[in-house]
Formats: sequence, C-alpha cells, structure tokens
Amino acid sequence: MLLKGLRDIASRQKWVAIAMATIVLGGILSVVSPVFLTLSNFQAILVQASVTSIMAIGMTFIILTAGIDISVGAILFVTSALFAQLMISTESYLLAFGVTIICATSLGALNGILVIRFAVSPLITTLATYSIYRGAAIHLTGAQNIPVPREMGFLGNGRILGVPVPILILIAVTILGIYVLNRTRLGVYARAIGNSERSAKETNLPVGRVTVAIYAFSGFVTGIAGLVLLARVGGLQSGIGIGIEFTVIAAVILGGTKLTGGSGTVIGSVIGAIFLVLIDNGLNLMNASPYIYDIVRGSVLLAAVAIDRYSAVRQRAALDAQRASLIAS
Amino acid sequence: MTDTPRPVVSVRDLSKAFASKTVVSNLSFDIFPGEALALVGENGAGKSTTKNMLCGLLTPTSGEILVEDNPVTKVIGAEHGISAVHQELSLFGSLTVSENISISNLPGHAARIDWPAAEKTARNQIEFLGIEIDPRALVETLGAGKQQIVEIAKALLHANKVLILDEPTTSLTAIEREKLFAIIDKLKAGGLAIVFISHFMEEIYRVCDSFVVLRDGQQVGQGRLADVNQRALEEMMVGRTMADARVDLAAPTQVPALDVRGLSSADFTGIDLTVNAGEILGIAGLMGAGRTEVAEAIFGLRPATGEVRIKGEFAPRNVKAMMARGLCYVTEDRRTNGLFLNRPVRENLSAASILKFVQRKLRGFGFQGEKAKAQDIVADMNIAIPHIENNVSDLSGGNQQKVMLGRWLATLPDILIFDEPTKGVDIGAKFDIHAAIADLARAGKAIIIVSSDLPELLHITHRMAVMRKGRIVGEFMRDDYDSVKIISLAASAKESTSNAA
Repeated sequence: MLLKGLRDIASRQKWVAIAMATIVLGGILSVVSPVFLTLSNFQAILVQASVTSIMAIGMTFIILTAGIDISVGAILFVTSALFAQLMISTESYLLAFGVTIICATSLGALNGILVIRFAVSPLITTLATYSIYRGAAIHLTGAQNIPVPREMGFLGNGRILGVPVPILILIAVTILGIYVLNRTRLGVYARAIGNSERSAKETNLPVGRVTVAIYAFSGFVTGIAGLVLLARVGGLQSGIGIGIEFTVIAAVILGGTKLTGGSGTVIGSVIGAIFLVLIDNGLNLMNASPYIYDIVRGSVLLAAVAIDRYSAVRQRAALDAQRASLIAS
Repeated sequence: MTDTPRPVVSVRDLSKAFASKTVVSNLSFDIFPGEALALVGENGAGKSTTKNMLCGLLTPTSGEILVEDNPVTKVIGAEHGISAVHQELSLFGSLTVSENISISNLPGHAARIDWPAAEKTARNQIEFLGIEIDPRALVETLGAGKQQIVEIAKALLHANKVLILDEPTTSLTAIEREKLFAIIDKLKAGGLAIVFISHFMEEIYRVCDSFVVLRDGQQVGQGRLADVNQRALEEMMVGRTMADARVDLAAPTQVPALDVRGLSSADFTGIDLTVNAGEILGIAGLMGAGRTEVAEAIFGLRPATGEVRIKGEFAPRNVKAMMARGLCYVTEDRRTNGLFLNRPVRENLSAASILKFVQRKLRGFGFQGEKAKAQDIVADMNIAIPHIENNVSDLSGGNQQKVMLGRWLATLPDILIFDEPTKGVDIGAKFDIHAAIADLARAGKAIIIVSSDLPELLHITHRMAVMRKGRIVGEFMRDDYDSVKIISLAASAKESTSNAA
C-alpha cells in the first residue's frame, strides 16, 4: 500500500522519485559509515554539490524548452578566468563581479540567439560555442594558473551563522529558480514552448525572446557558480569546468525533467545533483578506484532514463485505456 | 430577422495566392452576430485558407475583410475579437487547464503572475460552458472532448465577436458532440457569430443558419440552409466531374489476387476486401477514416489481426514476405516515408529491388545493371530529369511520384496499393500516373487506390469501397457511381452514433 502510494506520488511529481532514491542511498551510506550521519558531513556534501546544483537550476529551464546547453562548462571557465584576470588588473571586486556576471549572462544569451537564429539543434550550436568560449578564455589567460586574493575564499569556504556560504548561495539561487519557474511569465512560457512549439506559435507566445532569456538565465547562474568554484579552488586552473556539463545535465535528468521538454522542477535538479555527490561519496567510502566513478555515474544516468521511459510508456497506456473505456461507454 | 441586422464581419472579393498559385479567389460573404455560418467544400477546396485569413494566420493577397464595417488589412485575433479553434488543438499537454486558458493573457505582472485570478478566470469560463473540468488538472490527462472545451474556453477569452470552429467533432464521442452543440447554441444566443467548418452534413444542418460553398477555391454558392436540402448542397460541393469522361478500363478478371478477411486494429475494425487480377479498387472516405492505416496494415507496416491471402495462399503480414509475394505499397507521404531526397534518382529507383543487382562472390554491386534499369524506368515513366544521378530533391512533385511508382514497378509486383497517388502533383503528371495505373490493370495487376480525391476515384476505378470511422460502410460498382451518394455515405454521422452508443 505504502509503496503503491509513494509510486503514485512519484509518477505525478517526478522529483519525489529522486528524493526517495537519495534518502535510500543516504540510509545505506549511514549504515556503511559512522561519520555519514554527522552535520559536518551533510554540510560537506552540500558544499560539494553547490556548483553543479546552481548550474543545474539554469539547465533545468533550458531542458524545459526542449533545448540543451553543452557550453556551460566553458562559460564556467570563462567566468573564472575573467574574474581572476580582472582582479589582477583592477583590484576592484565590484567591477570584477559586475563584469563577470554580465559576461556570463551575455554568453548564455548568445547561445540562445544562435539557437533561434540558425534554427540548428541546440546540441550542435552549443557544442560549437563550447569550443569557442573555452578557446577564447585560454587564449586570454595564456593557460596560466592565476591565484585570487585570499578574501575571495570567503565565498567558497566562509560561513555565516555557522552555515557555509556556498550553501546559502545555493539556497538563494534555488528560491530564485523556483520563483521564476512558477510565478513569472518566463517560467510558464518556457514550459509551454517545450511542450509544443507549434501551439506556442499559434498562441502568439514570444518564442524567440523566451528562448534567449532562458539561455541568458542559465549563463547568469553559471556565472555565480563560477565565482563560488573559483573561491573554493583558490585560483584559476586550466582544468576548471571540463566535463562538468555531464554532471549538470545528468542532475537535471535524474531530477525528473523531461529531455523532450515541457515538464520538470528546479528542486528535482538540485536533489539530482546532491544524489550524484552522494554516489561519489559512497564510492569514496568504498575506496573504489577513481576510474570506476565515471562508469557508475554513466550507468546511473542510463538507468534513470530507462526507468523514466518505462513509466512514461505505462502512463500513456493507462491513459489510452481510460480514453478507450470512455469512448466505449 | 425582419429588419436587416448588421454583419459583424464582411468579406469582399477576398483572394489568396501562394507564390503564383491562387488558392482562393473572390470570396464575398457576411457573418452575422448570433448566427452560425457553415463553410463547406471538399478536401482542398480552400476552406483552411479562408479560415486562416479570417483568424489572422494568413494575410489576404487582395480583397478586404471588414470588421464591423471597418476595413482591416490583416486580422489581429485579440484586437478584433476573432478566434479560431483549429482541428489540431493548440494546447499544452503538460500545463494545467487554467494555465492553458489564460496563457496568452496571464493576469498580474510579468514577474509576478496572479495565479488565483487566472484560476478564477478559468473556472468562470468552464462554468459558463457548463462542463465539469478541474482547472488544476493537466490537459494531457483529459479526454478529447474536454480538451476541445478547454480550447474553446481559451479561444473565447478574446473572441467576443467571431469564433471559428474547424472540424470540431472528429475526435469526439456522440455524447461529447451533443454537449458541444449545446454550447454552440448558447454562444449563438449570447450574440457570438460562429463559423463552422465540417464534412458532416447532419452537423451543419444541426448547428448552422447559413452556408458558403467553396469548390476549387471559388465560391460556388451561398444562402440560408433553410432554403436548400442536403442533396442540393452536396451537388454544389462536388459540382462538375460527375459525368466527366472516364478512362477506358479493361474488364477485370474473376481471379482473386488479394483477399483480406477481418482485418482489425485500434484504427479500424473488421475490414474485408477482395481485389481481382486486372481490377482497380478505390477506397474512399474522409481524412481520419482509417484508410491509410488499413493499407499499411495489409503491407505489414502496422500491427493488426486478421488474415491476408495472396492468390489464395495465406501470407504473413510483414513487409519482406509481402514483397516476396509481389505486393507493394506506394506511400501517401513520399517526402518523409518514401523517397531518399538527397540521393540520386538511380538509387531511389533501385532501392526496393536492389538485391537483383547484387552479384554473388563479393564482386560488389552490378552498377551497370542498376543504371540500365534506372534508365529504362525513366524512359518508360516519362520522368523529366537531365540525368539519373540527379538528386530526387531536384524533381517536381509529379516526377517524384513517378520515381516512387517506378521503384515499385522495378520489383515486378502483381498487386499494388497506392495511397494518394496524385497528391500535390500537377495535371500533366496526374494524367501520366492515371494512364500508368490503367495500363498496369490492363496487364493483369490487381490495384488498390486510397484517395481523398473523389473525382480521381470515379475516374480510374472499377469498384469503390467507402470507409467511415474505421469501417467499410458501403461498396459501389463503376456503373452505379454517384458522387453525392458516396460523399454522404462517407460523411454521415448516423451509424457512428449508434456505434458509439
């Protein structure tokens, strides 16, 4: 009974499924390791998940419109590089923050503009900009490692009232994301466009403007994530952001957002990112070889997609049966 | 009706051309408040184009539309109070009912939507229409009937003058249809003008007050429904062609080539068909009657139950087995399902018979044989191309269709099923294709033609089966062809009502 009830809720509210999986995985880990159930470990997990979670919130909107952005890792790197460089040349935090965030937002917006202008698949468009953005940033910095001032570490390792700053930033961005998705036209339009672009056009929705705004929003939050990451690492390294798009997209899909667009939640993506960190955490506890990590992450994503596909097929079958009985009666 | 009421919308000499092709020309009619106007005509008569000009999706090429006596160059639905419910609904399945209804006019600030207000609007709209729907339900969980109501509620938010309904009943059950009619009556009583597009004559007489008949883009009749009977209206729609010269068809043999018994699936039920060698059988019906589905099921492209016999012997319904037994199916959608557009004509012609050109012992394809065969077909079929290595995408619609036909003829079939063989082709190519089909029959092939173009079926078939809502509802021999009878059989709602009950 309980199982069935939970399954019903999970099929309606997709994020509940990943939340339950996270709780189960957490339960297993707490049995395996005595330190798991401590406040400091929880905080460590959330801090570790903060960068990908923040980025996943932006990616949720893009995938909701049935799009994708492969270039987020590159935007992350550009942000970090630009900030580090600006700090050296101007030593003004205000200027560096402002320019960096505006630049990240603009790069996201550029992705959106290219997607609607050329009407090429977002996958290819952002694969191209991925290469361009990262290349430009490496060219700009000469592939050097650039340290950032010590005070910057506050953003990555500091605490306010005992709570690590990255967690507070994550909470703020999560609230912002939930608000935008549920209470603004942008959020509703994003879901509508992802559900049916034809209907959106027939209903006269501003498809182009919404698409650009969504990619820009993703760029904006990626900029924030870049600053958090830079602060945690302590300086620019040329490896920043490589491969992170996989984790970000995986978190969104695990969180129950449909790749075909139209339905998904911000909270699901955040929990999805946390789930992926838990898996790393568990593998770490098991002293697994570092090469195993990628295999497990990939398998988890594949399993999530398969389960989602299976439940979608069953749901449609149930719906068809219901309609058929309506027509027969 | 004694004093003359003012029309809410008037159309004067309205024409629309795409590129140089005129699709509708010189329409002139009035739409009155509180009345329903029926827009009737066969497939391709220009109803959709007219509808799209009325609701602002298309800009007229010439002529004018007057909204309450003010001429407008292009209708802006929200501004002029005109809205259309298209046959294919423009709803968002993963959004709730209330989100769908108010999406183009969300209350509150852009950065702070007033959801309670939106839900209240939706609730009021639904209540006004007299149907019980939860405003918070996701639209994809609703049945077709309720989705239709949601779409109407959405359209009514800014349609305070004219509501256009395009084939609103095709996916509805009998009960849902009655509810819809009751709503239409209510809207009319409230002073709204309705433009009603439907194939179903019963519905038109049930709902409408006046009519405009289109045929080949021309307005061929208008008036009040009370003054014409159904047969007269149908004759206006069909017009010409009833006694057009038919091609001379040779008498068919009495040897059954294809025999279909009790074929059933979700889309059709209990289909029995027999075609003799040398015979051309037409399958007539409206869009959505299940004709293409039957053709595809026979060829093995769709799951179904039932039996197919070829020359008296049981044939398993899969494409490979059907091709081996000499059956072929020429799809209605040549661009997406049939042709390899970016490949040369030669490859497109040999695609279904490629095994004949493969030589044993790994010597590779016999390109010479393939080329020679392709050249033969091009000459035979009168396909206009400079070279067989040209891509199919370079060809006109008619020549593309000839390539499709040529590909299947290269397999030396005995039974051919054509789905809309002349859709989107010009008159000359149509003539060539008809001649080719007649020749095939004369050579003893058995042929089935699925077509929405009734004059075409009257022209080149020996016998015609009429389908409606997944069933065969009648059959006519060539000597008894009567296009009015066939149309009214295909469009009658009577039997489907008893089926649904």
